[in-house]
Amino acid sequence: MSSSRVALKASKGKVVKKSAADEDDGLAAVAAKFVKEWSTFAMKKAKVITHYGFIPLVIIIGMNSDPKPSLSQLLSPV
Amino acid sequence: MATLIPPSPATETTSPASPAAAEQQKVDYLNMPCPVPYEEIHREAMMSLKPEIFEGLRFDFLKGLNQKFSLSHSVMMGPTEVPQAPELVKIPTAHYEFGANYIDPKLMLFGRVMTDGRVNARLKCDLTENLTLKGTAQLAHEPHMSHGVFHFDYKGSDYRAQLQLGNGALVGASYIQSVTPHLSLGGEVFWAGQHRKSGIGYAARYNTEKMVATAQVASTGMVALGYVQKVSEKVSLASDLMYNYMSRDVTASFGYDCILRQCRLRGKIDSNGVVSSFLEERLSMGLNFLLSAEIDHRKKDYKFGFGLTVGE
Repeated sequence: MSSSRVALKASKGKVVKKSAADEDDGLAAVAAKFVKEWSTFAMKKAKVITHYGFIPLVIIIGMNSDPKPSLSQLLSPV
Repeated sequence: MATLIPPSPATETTSPASPAAAEQQKVDYLNMPCPVPYEEIHREAMMSLKPEIFEGLRFDFLKGLNQKFSLSHSVMMGPTEVPQAPELVKIPTAHYEFGANYIDPKLMLFGRVMTDGRVNARLKCDLTENLTLKGTAQLAHEPHMSHGVFHFDYKGSDYRAQLQLGNGALVGASYIQSVTPHLSLGGEVFWAGQHRKSGIGYAARYNTEKMVATAQVASTGMVALGYVQKVSEKVSLASDLMYNYMSRDVTASFGYDCILRQCRLRGKIDSNGVVSSFLEERLSMGLNFLLSAEIDHRKKDYKFGFGLTVGE
């Protein structure tokens, strides 16, 4: 009988400890989830921007370098 | 009588001079040359043994708009291999690729876009004198088919260190150090989060003016040994052994690389029964003709290609 009571007390203690740890964990978990979600969102946008914008970026940087090539030189096949 | 003077004092005076001269040439361990980057440790062997063999037609047109900026147009027609069990299936494809390059001492940008929307981008930027940022990316429209890696390279006086960050939670680091003027040793470690794989590897490179010997071991099961000997000004011979101790797969290859005035001819023979050859002939200024052949006797796969490159 005593052993079962002791067992009950022990389990109650554990439950109390678990809820306090849970709160801490919950905050860290929420922060981690927020960072992960936000970084995934940023990565997706960065991927789309790079996909469409890298070659135009190279062309703009090249057209503004010295000596400046003209637009006809860019578009003509010769 | 002078001739009867025993030569020993003369030799005595000269013999300390030669060890002294030898001592001056003795290795200054604090003043070593900078080693090659870790990923280029097999550079000579790769250049000789692995030219870009292609199948079909290839036409490249490189147009320079000014010193730093150039555009490139490429057409490629030929079968591409799709691995479909139990054998390789070849599907004829044709595509056009447009590219733009910007090359500056401090910044290099290289971009290629294909007709199916895939973009291949490379970036190299010198942030400071010793720190370089490099990035490569292959981007596609399909989700989860894109891949990108950033490298931060630090070049010290006799060492190089590199940090890699890539998508799929790929983190890697490598370090290579010159130990003697001819020998450099290095190691790398990487962790791929998405595939839950990690690995560690070591490499050593011994080079003199006439030969380069390299060895590399990795925990992914790869052991690679290479030896390149420069036989003359124009010809060098290379041999290579790749052994995977996990899958018990061995490949040995032996090849040659002849750089002549008007052409460059590379050929190799393999222990898998593959004989390949690659010729780049300079027909005139800015006009290069390419011929590529690969014969796989075991799989009965014959690949022949020809191409033309216009522009420097």
